[in-house]
Amino acid sequence: MWPRRNIAALRVTLSYMSVDFHEDPVRREQTIARYLGRRLGADQAGQWESHYLSCQDCFEEMRASEWLIRGLGEPVVERKLVNGVAVLQFARGTQLLAASLELTELSKAIHMESDRKVLIDLSTVSRIDSTGLGVLMQCYCHAVKNDGALKLLRPDAPVRRVLNMTKIDLVLQTFEDEAAAIESFGPSA
Amino acid sequence: MDFSADDLEKVRARLRFKVCYDVGFACPDVDDIVQESLIRFLAATRENKIQNPEAAGAFLNGICRNVILEYRRRNLRDEPMPEVMPEPARESIQDTDLFELRQAISRGLDQLSERDRRVLRAFYLEEKSKEEILKSTGLTDENFRVVLCRAKERFRAIYVAQTQHRGPSRHS
Repeated sequence: MWPRRNIAALRVTLSYMSVDFHEDPVRREQTIARYLGRRLGADQAGQWESHYLSCQDCFEEMRASEWLIRGLGEPVVERKLVNGVAVLQFARGTQLLAASLELTELSKAIHMESDRKVLIDLSTVSRIDSTGLGVLMQCYCHAVKNDGALKLLRPDAPVRRVLNMTKIDLVLQTFEDEAAAIESFGPSA
Repeated sequence: MDFSADDLEKVRARLRFKVCYDVGFACPDVDDIVQESLIRFLAATRENKIQNPEAAGAFLNGICRNVILEYRRRNLRDEPMPEVMPEPARESIQDTDLFELRQAISRGLDQLSERDRRVLRAFYLEEKSKEEILKSTGLTDENFRVVLCRAKERFRAIYVAQTQHRGPSRHS
């Protein structure tokens, strides 16, 4: 008599072996994602390898997914430290709107790190809405509470207009030159 | 079973990926393992050992697994030679190509809407099931498939363009 657990595992493996990878693209993508993330069991990985070794179409799909995952995994907010000032910049052109991933990432980047002097480069931001402004203000409050400061660098014309209209530019100092902005934080600690 | 030069090149690329996946992309002996596996596979096909052509992938996978096992055993058996540093793995992608690739990937991502990116992140990186994603985003099954297929189409075009640009002999 086989232990119940072994029978269940065998059943899973057998059901996997009978999978037609071309039948359901979503199922195939799940397999690819798990294979590339090394989360597929040995049997299932072997089954998938045997398949793509003889199927150029699935191999190309897997490579495309690999690049897509690589792109999705790229950092959204890049951080560099210049004279004790953390300069945050968005890796790609973006919009700071309610549903933006970048907004969450920005908030995370500021709250997770213990930076006291933060400069946010807005040169790649083409639009901002009230949620975006709210997050900027939250980040500002977080920095001030920690005896720090938060300033903005190179906002684009539409963003500058919104900052001006809402008078947020009276609270958040804005600069056009990175060196001048960093100097304004005073000597590095 | 006969293979044209083009077919063989494609098989080699697929096999190279599998070997890299198993022994690591930085292993200096990847090409040797691929070559040995291919030689054994072609010898078997010439001797008509593959009765079911549909099982050719599984057959090649089995051969490759054996070659990798032999390689690992040999490495364990052989005395290490500390004075001889292993040759660094040859970079399969040049810096300029890598830059172009990153640019292409970035362009591909820029073409995706914010919602699509969130859905794809949840699917590929956060390991969420399709059902969970449908529930959290309010998408229908059809919408979800469209998002997935649209993104995959773009990235497949990037992959094909990149491999054509780099030539057939330089697969990573």
